[in-house]
Amino acid sequence: MKQFLLHLDETESGRVKDADRRKVLDDAARKRRARKAVEALEQDNFHEDPHADLVMSKKVPKFADSNEKPTRKKKSKSAEYYKLRFRKTFAQLVEEDVNFRPDPPNYLSAQAPPSKFPDRHFCAVCGFPSNYTCIPCGARYCCVRCLGTHLDTRCLKWTA
Amino acid sequence: MPETSCYILDNGAYTAKVGFSTMEPKVVPNCIMKAKSERRRPFIGSQIDECRDASGLFYILPFQKGFLVNWDTQKTVWDYMFSKECCPVNFNEIPLIITEPLFNFASIQEAMTEIFFEEYECQSLLRINATDLAEYNYRKTHKNVCTIVVDSGYSYTYIVPYIKGKKFRDGIRRVDVGGKVLTNHLKEVLSYRQLNVMDETYVINQVKEDSCFVSMDFMNDMEIARKKGSENTIVKDYVLPDYTTIRRGYLRDVVRPDEDLEQQTLRMNNERFAIPELLFHPSDVGIQQMGITETIMHSLNACPEEHMESLLENIVLYGGNALFPGFRDRVYNDVRAAALDHYDVNVTVAENPITYAWEGGKMIFRDPDFYSFCMTKEEYEEEGKALAFERFDI
Repeated sequence: MKQFLLHLDETESGRVKDADRRKVLDDAARKRRARKAVEALEQDNFHEDPHADLVMSKKVPKFADSNEKPTRKKKSKSAEYYKLRFRKTFAQLVEEDVNFRPDPPNYLSAQAPPSKFPDRHFCAVCGFPSNYTCIPCGARYCCVRCLGTHLDTRCLKWTA
Repeated sequence: MPETSCYILDNGAYTAKVGFSTMEPKVVPNCIMKAKSERRRPFIGSQIDECRDASGLFYILPFQKGFLVNWDTQKTVWDYMFSKECCPVNFNEIPLIITEPLFNFASIQEAMTEIFFEEYECQSLLRINATDLAEYNYRKTHKNVCTIVVDSGYSYTYIVPYIKGKKFRDGIRRVDVGGKVLTNHLKEVLSYRQLNVMDETYVINQVKEDSCFVSMDFMNDMEIARKKGSENTIVKDYVLPDYTTIRRGYLRDVVRPDEDLEQQTLRMNNERFAIPELLFHPSDVGIQQMGITETIMHSLNACPEEHMESLLENIVLYGGNALFPGFRDRVYNDVRAAALDHYDVNVTVAENPITYAWEGGKMIFRDPDFYSFCMTKEEYEEEGKALAFERFDI
């Protein structure tokens, strides 16, 4: 590898010369990553249910504070019943809304539009304002030190 | 026959505010949580206070993106709220005011009507937007004509203009940034820079509440945060809870590393103000939307011009994010800078941003026309769910 490089124009800097040989993410992949990052901000949990492996026994008696019988005449329906009764995902609901409220103003039209101001950029490592862009992945960095950290830890290491 | 009190449930996506109009509201987490340390049972609502070790809490939330979708979870939490353990009620005798999100979807609205009339056997029901209650609260105390209500909650921030007490639908705007996005972003940033806290949503939410503030001059604060030593007035350490001696973490000044080695800390520097900044610049994390103040102006421009003056004079902020120090001043500064010079700008933050809408419910119950806003069980049985769509302006 080194020897091969020696044949190339010596005036070029090593970093620039290497740039076109490195793997560079295309635009679509970058957008996909950005979308994934935004979606992650919506997650409720990032770990598994800690009780997932527990088997709940239905026979365990429930102890109440008193011995009173429930006074309600009507038997209340279980939570499970309502889960099945009103089962709809968020995507389904948004789709239905197109029929319910076809004309604006509605849920979709109320969304704030993109800002008129240009995006600001922050270093993906330290969070301070950044001036440089990582060539392979498009992440921002502010100094050589942060670039080093970025290359060691994150650059192209996420599979999106 | 008018009753002496009513039951008010401001059913938020993260906390529900619940109680009788004659009492102070209870703030109940609207979710079920599971703890690593307590394997025998899940914690419903405020039961989490009984949990000794709140590390690695697993959340089961009834709401998704601000809408009620997990009905089994919601039913369980409601049953808890209406039980002796929390705030017992008999809906046969007491009217209920319950809040719903703006533009709530039709099938969720139907489900709400059904569950309260059939399952909980409500006698009279008022389903209403939380922003309506907040506006009512504001209008009754300020005697104004028009209001802009900014509700910055867990799932998103809504900006709703009201003209003469009625919401102006064409001006309603939503910024998809709320407390959840802020906490998740803080978690992500801290996990990359310092310590993996991806499992600790509950704790990091407290870190956010205890250490974040809204910057008045963002770029200047960034410069301060870059400085070393005593010149950096922003950097602090957050002592994490260990659940033996410390139950809730706290912010403290940076001390020499050899002191207090037994405490686990997080270094909070530019995170302290860069996190709430997302409310004003969602594009900082790639959410391509306007921030709160730009959206307020966008909403205003959709309103009739003759009400501009009154709207700008009556901007009211509430919801959990309004608790960030500096939130009101920042909104005021930015709106003042963006609005035309000859208009006065007035921004108020609710005294208690969490219960502001709930308090509005208390006031609307005393409105002489209160019962005309409600729907009764007889009406429901007579005319069915269709009437609910006519009566409630959701």
